[in-house]
Amino acid sequence: MRARPGRRGALAAALLGALLLGAAAGCAPVRPWERDLLARPDMAWEPDSLEARRRGHVFFSKEGSLQGGSAGGGGCGCN
Amino acid sequence: MRKGSGRGDEERRRARRRRRAAARRRSPVLSALTSSALALPGLAGGARAASPVDRVGADYNFSYYAEDDLPSGKLAAGDDSRYEIEMHQFHAVAPLGERSDANLDIVHETMSGATPWYVANSGSGTPIQVMTGATVDEKRTDALLTGSYYFERAKASASGGFSLENDYFSGNGGLSGDLDLNDKNTTLSAGGSLSFDTIEPTDAALFATRPTKEKKETYSAFAGISQVIRRNIAVQSTFSYQHGTGYLSDPYKQVEVAGNANNPDRRPGQRNQFAWLTRYRHHVSPVEGTLHANYQLYLDDWGITSHTLELAWHQTLFDAFRLVPAFRYYSQSQADFYAPFFSAPAQHMSSDYRLSPYGAISWKLRAEVELQDWPGKLDWRGSFTWERYLSGGEYALQSVSLENPGLVSFNLFTIALTGRF
Repeated sequence: MRARPGRRGALAAALLGALLLGAAAGCAPVRPWERDLLARPDMAWEPDSLEARRRGHVFFSKEGSLQGGSAGGGGCGCN
Repeated sequence: MRKGSGRGDEERRRARRRRRAAARRRSPVLSALTSSALALPGLAGGARAASPVDRVGADYNFSYYAEDDLPSGKLAAGDDSRYEIEMHQFHAVAPLGERSDANLDIVHETMSGATPWYVANSGSGTPIQVMTGATVDEKRTDALLTGSYYFERAKASASGGFSLENDYFSGNGGLSGDLDLNDKNTTLSAGGSLSFDTIEPTDAALFATRPTKEKKETYSAFAGISQVIRRNIAVQSTFSYQHGTGYLSDPYKQVEVAGNANNPDRRPGQRNQFAWLTRYRHHVSPVEGTLHANYQLYLDDWGITSHTLELAWHQTLFDAFRLVPAFRYYSQSQADFYAPFFSAPAQHMSSDYRLSPYGAISWKLRAEVELQDWPGKLDWRGSFTWERYLSGGEYALQSVSLENPGLVSFNLFTIALTGRF
């Protein structure tokens, strides 16, 4: 029997916690004067916000899923 | 009590003072590097809460979206020419004092073409698609205004906007915040938004299955964490939730039940959706390239589970050019109440391909050029992007026995221009 959304969501949250603990364990603190590479445009989560919005809208209209990353923006008659 | 009074401790204290002094001397250079990088779009959203823009910026994108014609073998009736969209996107950003900035996003698009209406049983159990006639020049205008205030280690934002079509109106608002921790190596983000929508389908009097006016409410929330792993590696993970209530069906689609297509698309009046998105960024200095890897797991209470994987390589060439090949893979399961057609009526029914089981792959190639300090202090970026998207039952992770005949494939072309003044 397929797991209900609540149980699947709890499993996803547990996996998320494990991932973050693992990532934090491998971290080396980066000092402010060492942030030159992190400041590069191609290191941004969304180097082009208009492209991210456009593609998010296209996939929201043409597929059956939520576009994750952040809430915001409104609905449309497209889906 | 003060620790360590020996000579070795004094030498270590002097060494620490020398390192701090050297860092302060390096900071102006680093500031110039980071401020010039900040001048170009896209830095907002990096691995920290960022800071307000210090100058006005504007972006314009023009996109042409064209769906492939429906293959003749899948068409039962109607127009096989599918959707074409011309999209104009405008964005402007400006500082408001030393601690705040404002962003305005406007989208205007013109849509034309035929869309899937209902799926018919060909007689042998094979589903075939009945399309609408082609619509001509439908328009949508969307506007979103966002204001942000920046604290020493935090950021708070508020947004409000609307989307307007000839048959649809949506009003929305949201709040979000970022908090920097651990010397800005960790950023916590959270926010919420809501949207109130009204749909008044066209030609409702001509179709018995089409309502004259319906409403829908959507409530969303997200929470995420970004972590700097190394000087050149960062990871972000975000959990999103959305609750929809009201009229969630498609008024322009119908469902065939026992050979009779005069039945409305009828979906549940509530939907709970969950998405877990993880992003990985890794810069490889020797080759001046950066890897982007995103994975999203999605679940909802309509029975759909989906997986999305995106990979992109950002290759910088000669400092001023960038080539970005990218690949996306998507796979979803079907909604509980989905079927191509039905033999008996059910409480909830839909034959919409977007609720069917299928997979999709897409390739994208973007070429961009940057021009800094010309003329004067102006910075520019121009780009051209092509994306090719294909969907089908054969791309799904699970085996698909009956592929929906309305699955879509498309090309998306975009030219973009960005300026910072």
